[in-house]
Amino acid sequence: MINILIKKELSLYFRNLNNIFLPLIFFFLIISIFPLVLGPEKTLFNKIIPGVIWITAILTTLLTSNNFFKEDFNAGIIETYLTSDVSIEIVLFIRIIVCWIFTCLPIVIFIPIVSILFDITFQSSIVILLTLVIGTPILISIGIFGSALTLGLAKNNILTPVIIIPFYIPVLIFSASAIQSVSAGLPYDMQIYILASLLTLVLPTMPYLLKYTLEISINN
Amino acid sequence: MDDALNKIEISVNSATCYKNNNLIFEDINIELKNGDFMLIIGPNGCGKTTLIKSLCGIQKLEFGNILINNLDIHSKNSEYIENIIYLGHKNSLNNDLSVQENLEYLSVFDSSVGSNNFDKIKNAMDYFNIYKYKDYMISDLSEGNRKRTSLARLVLSKKKIWLLDEPLSFLDNNILDSFVSLIKRHQANDGIVIVSTHYDFSKSISNVKYLKMETK
Repeated sequence: MINILIKKELSLYFRNLNNIFLPLIFFFLIISIFPLVLGPEKTLFNKIIPGVIWITAILTTLLTSNNFFKEDFNAGIIETYLTSDVSIEIVLFIRIIVCWIFTCLPIVIFIPIVSILFDITFQSSIVILLTLVIGTPILISIGIFGSALTLGLAKNNILTPVIIIPFYIPVLIFSASAIQSVSAGLPYDMQIYILASLLTLVLPTMPYLLKYTLEISINN
Repeated sequence: MDDALNKIEISVNSATCYKNNNLIFEDINIELKNGDFMLIIGPNGCGKTTLIKSLCGIQKLEFGNILINNLDIHSKNSEYIENIIYLGHKNSLNNDLSVQENLEYLSVFDSSVGSNNFDKIKNAMDYFNIYKYKDYMISDLSEGNRKRTSLARLVLSKKKIWLLDEPLSFLDNNILDSFVSLIKRHQANDGIVIVSTHYDFSKSISNVKYLKMETK
């Protein structure tokens, strides 16, 4: 069962290579806008680049997760999920993980290149990478939750980000704090542990929450 | 399976449904048992689809209840979800997967199909004459062939209660006969079929019950 589910997700992503490359291109485009807007002042830019990377990661996850269930909803697949006698929590869990692998993992992999481009110190870039690896699965899960929540509504393009961005704040606070700590030469492991505990809280509970949310959304 | 497990009785008692404060249907009463075929007939907008959705538990009722073997379908220990297969008027097919991949994927959601089901899927495709399209993407198929792919799930499934919403749309007359004989076979296997339709195709089917709905 699980191998069919994984095979299906992978073939869907590989058949639309757009789904893999567009988030990455989007990420690079947004990052390269900042130097254009802020001018060539290097000290200012070095200070804000970790924040810029995080904001860009947020925008990417927002865009990719916004219409996560839309196509399945229009095709009636969500109804099949909910009238099924197998536990669809596994299905949803696999879909979250695969979505993360194809939208956020490329960004994480390209962080070293971004670090070289923008002259980020090795220490900082390690922490940025670490916070992104732990933080983006949380962001993706919350984004997918938002898309399930607004599924029944006809026009939901801007509503979903409005609902879910407040839920991003805890992740942002601890990621930013970890990055600030490392650049100030302070220990940052406390923030990483908190992020990791948020991840272990969000990831296993999200499929159950999603199922419940889909049931409500489809009832409207 | 022993007889006790096979016996299924569905009873819908004064079911009433509202959507956004609009009355969709009210006071629907249905009694069904093994081997029954129920045709829900009515004009557009009379609530056929909503009634089918209520029967499969994804639409909540305002009043009334739906019992299966005297257990409410929303109660925890209801075996309902293990017995139903729902085919909505949306085909539940993924446009970027082939016919065969779609059937493989959809059979994941139906534990009665069982594993190692390559031959079963081939049979199901043969039954509705779509085996020649097995590697076609759904987006390349005609609406009629998409409907056939969707109906092929009925050949695969061993579930007892079929809930079909407008299964005849886009189907041609050739395939209608095989569809009717599939329904008859299911009735002979103690199954229950509930169909919403505009077109009464029940001439050659026995144990037919009608539910005529009217626009409110």
